[in-house]
Amino acid sequence: MAKILTRGILYLFLIAVAATCLLPFYSMIITSTHANSDIARRLLLIPGDQFLDNYARLKDTVNIWRGFGNTVLITVTSTIINVYFAALAGYGFSKYNFKYKNVLFLFVLGTMMIPGQLGIIGFFKLMDSLNMLNTYWPLILPSIHNAFGIFLMRQFADSSVPTEIIESGRMDGYGEWQIFNRIVLPIMSPGLATLGIFAFIGKWNDFLTPMIVLFDNNLQTLPVMIASLKSQFTSDFGAQYVGIVIAVVPILVFFSFMSKRIIDGVAAGAVKG
Amino acid sequence: MGSKVNRSFYGYIFVAPFFIGFAVFGLMPILYTLYLSFMKWDGFSDPVYVGLANYSRLLHDSFFYQTIGNTLIIWILSNVPQLILSVLLALVLNERFIRGKHFFRAVYFFPHIITPVTLGVIFSLMFDWQTGTINKLLMSLGIIHDPVNWFNSPWWSRIIASGVICWQYFGFNMIVFIAGLQGIPREVYEAAEVDGASKKQTALHITLPLLRPVFLFVFITSVIGGLQLFDAPLMLGDGPGNSSRTMVMYLYETAFKNFDYSYGAAVAYGIFFVVMFFTAITAKASKLKD
Amino acid sequence: MKTKKWLMMVLSVLLVGSMLAGCGSKASDSSSTASGDDSGKAAESGELKGHLVIWTFFDQVKDMADQFQAKNPGVTVDVKMFPGDQYQTKLLTALQSGRDVPDIFDLERGYIGKFIDSKFLTDLSAMGAEDLVKDYIPYVQELGRSQDGKLRAISDHSSPGGFWYMRDTAKKYLGTDDPDKVSDMVSSWDKIIELGKKVAADSGGKVHLIQNAGDLFDIEAYNTQPWVKDGKLNIDPKWQTIYQTQLDIRKNNVDAKLPFMSAGWGNALNDGSVVLTSMPAWAGFMVDNKDDKAKGKYGVAKTPEGFYSGGTYRGIYEKSKNKDLAYEFIKYIAGEEWQQHNLEKTGNMPGNSKVYEANLDTFKSPLFGDENVLKPYYETVVKIPAAKADKYGEEILSKWRKVASDGITNNRSFDDVVTDFKKEVKNAFPELNVD
Repeated sequence: MAKILTRGILYLFLIAVAATCLLPFYSMIITSTHANSDIARRLLLIPGDQFLDNYARLKDTVNIWRGFGNTVLITVTSTIINVYFAALAGYGFSKYNFKYKNVLFLFVLGTMMIPGQLGIIGFFKLMDSLNMLNTYWPLILPSIHNAFGIFLMRQFADSSVPTEIIESGRMDGYGEWQIFNRIVLPIMSPGLATLGIFAFIGKWNDFLTPMIVLFDNNLQTLPVMIASLKSQFTSDFGAQYVGIVIAVVPILVFFSFMSKRIIDGVAAGAVKG
Repeated sequence: MGSKVNRSFYGYIFVAPFFIGFAVFGLMPILYTLYLSFMKWDGFSDPVYVGLANYSRLLHDSFFYQTIGNTLIIWILSNVPQLILSVLLALVLNERFIRGKHFFRAVYFFPHIITPVTLGVIFSLMFDWQTGTINKLLMSLGIIHDPVNWFNSPWWSRIIASGVICWQYFGFNMIVFIAGLQGIPREVYEAAEVDGASKKQTALHITLPLLRPVFLFVFITSVIGGLQLFDAPLMLGDGPGNSSRTMVMYLYETAFKNFDYSYGAAVAYGIFFVVMFFTAITAKASKLKD
Repeated sequence: MKTKKWLMMVLSVLLVGSMLAGCGSKASDSSSTASGDDSGKAAESGELKGHLVIWTFFDQVKDMADQFQAKNPGVTVDVKMFPGDQYQTKLLTALQSGRDVPDIFDLERGYIGKFIDSKFLTDLSAMGAEDLVKDYIPYVQELGRSQDGKLRAISDHSSPGGFWYMRDTAKKYLGTDDPDKVSDMVSSWDKIIELGKKVAADSGGKVHLIQNAGDLFDIEAYNTQPWVKDGKLNIDPKWQTIYQTQLDIRKNNVDAKLPFMSAGWGNALNDGSVVLTSMPAWAGFMVDNKDDKAKGKYGVAKTPEGFYSGGTYRGIYEKSKNKDLAYEFIKYIAGEEWQQHNLEKTGNMPGNSKVYEANLDTFKSPLFGDENVLKPYYETVVKIPAAKADKYGEEILSKWRKVASDGITNNRSFDDVVTDFKKEVKNAFPELNVD
């Protein structure tokens, strides 16, 4: 009896926490379907029929789908660059011997301690002098240096890339680049997926950098567009809610298909890190 | 082994992109920021050298000290409940009899993949005193009579900001703890069961101590990340009397809203110092315990 | 196998992405080539030719461009709108970097002071613009001048404000909807407080006389001395009286505590739960006039002191290659034709007195039925003293607004508020003498 009771309480606890995770999203979707006057006056629990009106007003000023596409483009490109170069360097640290290797590796780890915002003003000014303001380069190219990724990939290469396979590749007459691209990368692919998930989430959420380096509306990313909704639609809450729904629902759908893979990847990365 | 040495050239080649990328996009901006912090530059005219003026201004800037305090308060308010919650959930979900484990894990993790900015906007809309769902809900349940102006109260502003962060990260940390729990060999538990230990005893005396390295990992990342709080609190605003303005928000406002780039650069180095200070304390404290 | 699937997915996303990028870059290419060369070839045949890029934060500039293009078929005007509070940052960023800079850009009253003395604005006086503003409302043209007295930006409108009210609500709670009588009833703040008490009592606390004690910041902003004199912070003693009035308003339940332009504020303007809304003429778009449902429903009364609020100024980028054409555009919006059109279409009050004078006895607008709102507005704007914008005024006002609003909410003393205020000013402008 006591056992059933404890289990009941545990389930209740789990469900209560799950509810707090989902209710804000539910409320947001419901609210987006109502007219402003109702949003201001009543508690809304069931869907209304104003979604398209709200959407039309939003679309008049903010090209939110464009922002979505921009963010996908930037995120995917950076993730690929991030993963490739992290794997390359991780593999280099793992399987090659060279002078100052350990010092250099410590240096890599040391860069992880630098807070991201320290250089932001200089970054902005530097991008200006390189003529890269209002382009995607400042958002994509920095993905080349990802210390956490190198650390993760080195662990991975240490544990799952056998030295014999590299040697046999050399016997077959492959060059070092070919070995990496054709033999090592496929072996490391579970690790790449893990790092890819981290890189993807991080880049998808990037806010400060695009906000300061991009000023053309057509180039802007989704988080910046969402952030500006508040000041653009001061009294139009319907449009703000629709903007958020558009930002969240595709992620929700994607996540419900991929959740197992993503969570397993995160767990794997966390244990290694 | 010999072949490795011969090919050390490729070792350099393979790690070079990181160092080049870091030099251009990491180091140079940091040095440039340092240079700017010795200048006076508002974006309208050319920079002028002013020596340490920005730093002495920073040392006397009560607003900066206030943001350090705010950041620490928000950090504590968000991390303490979050760590407790994520460990509890990890322990519960690690029980064999629980069904729907994957569903719960996925639901708890979900807030983590939503952009912090979006979360900030969602919460600011929910707690809006005129139109927000929270007030409407509390009023229709009869808990309050008049709408509460949440963002007019320093403590509510901070609690809401902390709530957003707690809500966003507990799922992630829970996954980390679960991974840690699964790394504990089954034999340990079996031995405890043989010795007749209760569930509670096992959790307190065996599981938690074995989780220590995971705790450390979570804790240090949350110190470094927590002191750089920015996106979500920015969407919730400064709060009355700037009570929920964080350090990085102050940097952003100084540099990119008031266009005082040079003072902003000094603020950036101030933040760097504060983050290093607290990271060092954390690292030291964790070593002392060993 | 699974990895392969994953890779396929990434690849396909990348493909779609690169297609999007392709479209994007193509579009921007074509616009940049268009903007370059064909300028300047203006006047020869009397017909203008070329391409202009305008940056703004205000939706109605699109109509301005349409009208200008209709008149000059050889010209294309590309209006880039950046709504929201990041416009200023974006503008400064673009100006500094010199990349993708517009030919003409808009500046709001709130921050024109920061830009007006910068190297980014063309000297319009040298291009003959003194002639364009010779009939202007004095305060409107003066705000577009830099400290050396040269014209650098021109507005096409003035922004007089008044108490807007719904006629039904006014009849019910004030006993009349006649603008003159209402103006008389609210001609001083003391009268407003007394009247506000009555409205609150009559309605059982549901209806308030005014929106927000904070409205006084806008009404008094330019009826007080400038915030900075000779490098020293200058707090007009009048602010103390005003602050006391604001406390009394809050204490006696005269205001609905709704911030300007917030959701509740917009609601109250449209459903009459607040009797008087103080707002500028350009904010007419906040009245919900779908299917003419607000036609003839509104009136405007005078505030205890005349005021203006906001204003959009337009300047030419110093390094624009299209200066002559851009000047033609400025000339157009400073002229009577556009301002008359805009007055009829949106109810925005003109900046040119000639347009005021032409409509002085005849002006009617749908929202206000038979009331001629232009005349009292005109009487208000001509009296507003002409003053230049400096880089401090608006910033310091907004700090005062923030600190004093907190003070009103928490019923703090004037001295406490001033102490906090000085701290904020000192922090933002360390070069000012604050004590």
